[in-house]
Amino acid sequence: MDALRRNNVTVLGTGSQAMVLVHGFGCDQRMWRLITPAFEACHRIVLLDLVGAGNSALGVYDPVRYSSLQAHAEDVLDVLRALNLHQVVLVGHSVSAIIGMLAAIREPERFACLVLVAPSPSFINDGDYIGGFEREDIDELLEAMDNNYLGWSGSITPVIMGNPERPELAEELNTSFCQTDPTIARHFARATFLADHRPDLPRLHTPALILQCAQDTLAPRQVGEYMHEHLPDSELIVLDTSGHCPHLSAPQATVAAIRQYLVPTPTLKL
Amino acid sequence: MSTASPHNKEQLPELDLRLTQENLDDLYEHAPCGYCTCLPDGTLVKVNQTLLGWLGHTKAELVARRCLQQLFTVGGRLHYETYGVPMLLLQNHVREFSYTLRRKDGSTLPVLMNAVLLRDNDSQPLAVRVTLFNITERRKYEQELLRAKQQAEEQREQLARANEQLVSKNEQLSRINADLDSFVYTASHDLKQPIDNMAGLFQELRHTVTFHDPEATAMLNMFAEALQQILSTIKGLTEVVQLQRQLEQVPVEMIALRPFTEEIIRSLQQRLDEHQASFTLDFEAAPTVCMARSGLHSMLYNLLSNGLRYAEPDRAPHIKVSTTRAADNVVLSVQDNGRGIDLARHGRELFQLFRRFHPEVTGSGMGLYLVNRLVNQAGGRVEVDSAVGQGTTFRVHLPMGGFLPTPSSSANGAAE
Repeated sequence: MDALRRNNVTVLGTGSQAMVLVHGFGCDQRMWRLITPAFEACHRIVLLDLVGAGNSALGVYDPVRYSSLQAHAEDVLDVLRALNLHQVVLVGHSVSAIIGMLAAIREPERFACLVLVAPSPSFINDGDYIGGFEREDIDELLEAMDNNYLGWSGSITPVIMGNPERPELAEELNTSFCQTDPTIARHFARATFLADHRPDLPRLHTPALILQCAQDTLAPRQVGEYMHEHLPDSELIVLDTSGHCPHLSAPQATVAAIRQYLVPTPTLKL
Repeated sequence: MSTASPHNKEQLPELDLRLTQENLDDLYEHAPCGYCTCLPDGTLVKVNQTLLGWLGHTKAELVARRCLQQLFTVGGRLHYETYGVPMLLLQNHVREFSYTLRRKDGSTLPVLMNAVLLRDNDSQPLAVRVTLFNITERRKYEQELLRAKQQAEEQREQLARANEQLVSKNEQLSRINADLDSFVYTASHDLKQPIDNMAGLFQELRHTVTFHDPEATAMLNMFAEALQQILSTIKGLTEVVQLQRQLEQVPVEMIALRPFTEEIIRSLQQRLDEHQASFTLDFEAAPTVCMARSGLHSMLYNLLSNGLRYAEPDRAPHIKVSTTRAADNVVLSVQDNGRGIDLARHGRELFQLFRRFHPEVTGSGMGLYLVNRLVNQAGGRVEVDSAVGQGTTFRVHLPMGGFLPTPSSSANGAAE
């Protein structure tokens, strides 16, 4: 299937350099709407939905393939190839910060730099590493998801899985924000929260900005610092906001931080 | 209109009085649901008594000290951070989130949460108002549902697997069956030529060689008989395979039973030189059946010739051939008054190839095997009743519906 349709790609803006924004777990490309207006004038904005989320082609969601984040990274590269993009700025939130990192490790020439919004290479505590959660916590999240999808899932789920020839089913489902097929959501949650990509950090040679929220239960300060320490070419900015979605809770600060990172300061230019 | 509705007039003041007595503070504090308000980051700023009672916390322990998310178990906390907060910021409300509260004593309470986001004059997020409902019983019921759903899914998978196995077993059986056919064919074919040679040589020997042993004549006759038996076995085997192959191509047709059966009886009487036997034919209930002509012929021929050959030695054979109608079947019965078969002993082997139950009568052991196979091929089945010394009844159930002729082949019939 055509990558642009598969990932429901939207292109906005007029700039020469492309800025690709990839949403995190639990939402879709609409979560960037407070950020994109600030960059439309100087960037070509590319928005996409990860397969399984938003208005992506839910029918092509293959649980075996998408049990690893690498599959999503390949999808992102497919989109860049389809649009013939090089030297892009990739802004990835949470799990998509990792997806962006994996894509940049594979094909570095396509990326100028990465903006990693509230990233975490591994959510689970492991020895000295503080991920923030125990394995049982993640199991409980999966259960909480089950409880929350109880009401509306039954009639829709069996139809959508494995119906690539009927994309209208997916559209019907996604009339409201960030709701997706519960089976896929659960599966994606597993791929997201059980992944451990700490060993990949030193393999990234693309410059990266880490946007760390001051109080974030999902990606605590120590995690941002760990990322900064292990990414060869990274900068860490702590945003004075709480929660896991600074692009929603503190959009102006988020925009300012990205701008400052992208535009070299005048003193350096001289 | 003071007199028009005296009831209203008298009751209204009473109602008003009750309403004015409703204290809004009290309603907030002791409403039958939990209320709280928090800052956009979750910090609690107001909690009602109902919720405090559920949690076992005091107001001082929570306000400005704890976040809404921290009231939930970890799963709910993660869900709220990844899904609840973005939803609130994007659409200003969330509805029917199913979470679990963690009480001060460690126990839990299932709740359903609705929340709205308030914004200030500059549209900046100001506060979140949260309503929580105790859903203890409902949660149990929901979990039953979830369990049932999981079970149903597991069973569906098991069924699918079982089905796959069946399909592959079926394919395997079909292959084996085809192999068996070609084996029988090859065997009969390969045996036929040497046996024919033997028969020819033996014939030649009898003409040219003289034996002096007085028992030679008897032995020669026995030899001839044995040769005949082998030849008829081979012939039978060939017939089994050829019929099977033919039937795969021959179309089914409507066949009038009476003339068809009468023709078979005539040829049988000539062949077996049997003129003592009597026949009763009754096809009133179903005068026709739908089957391949050669198949029906072979089936009836075998059943009728069995009836004649396995007659009680001191009783003239009587065979009754008749039809009845069942729900969507025609039942064709062939009833004789012959020796009968001990079904308790032989019933299971009745339709197997080369099984014989009356060694004193010559036969190849292929007739009933062939009958059963032909009937199965036509989508039907065979039933047997038998009493030793009294007789046997074969009931052949043939389907009516699915085996009607195709439109093209029924064109002749329709024109009549």
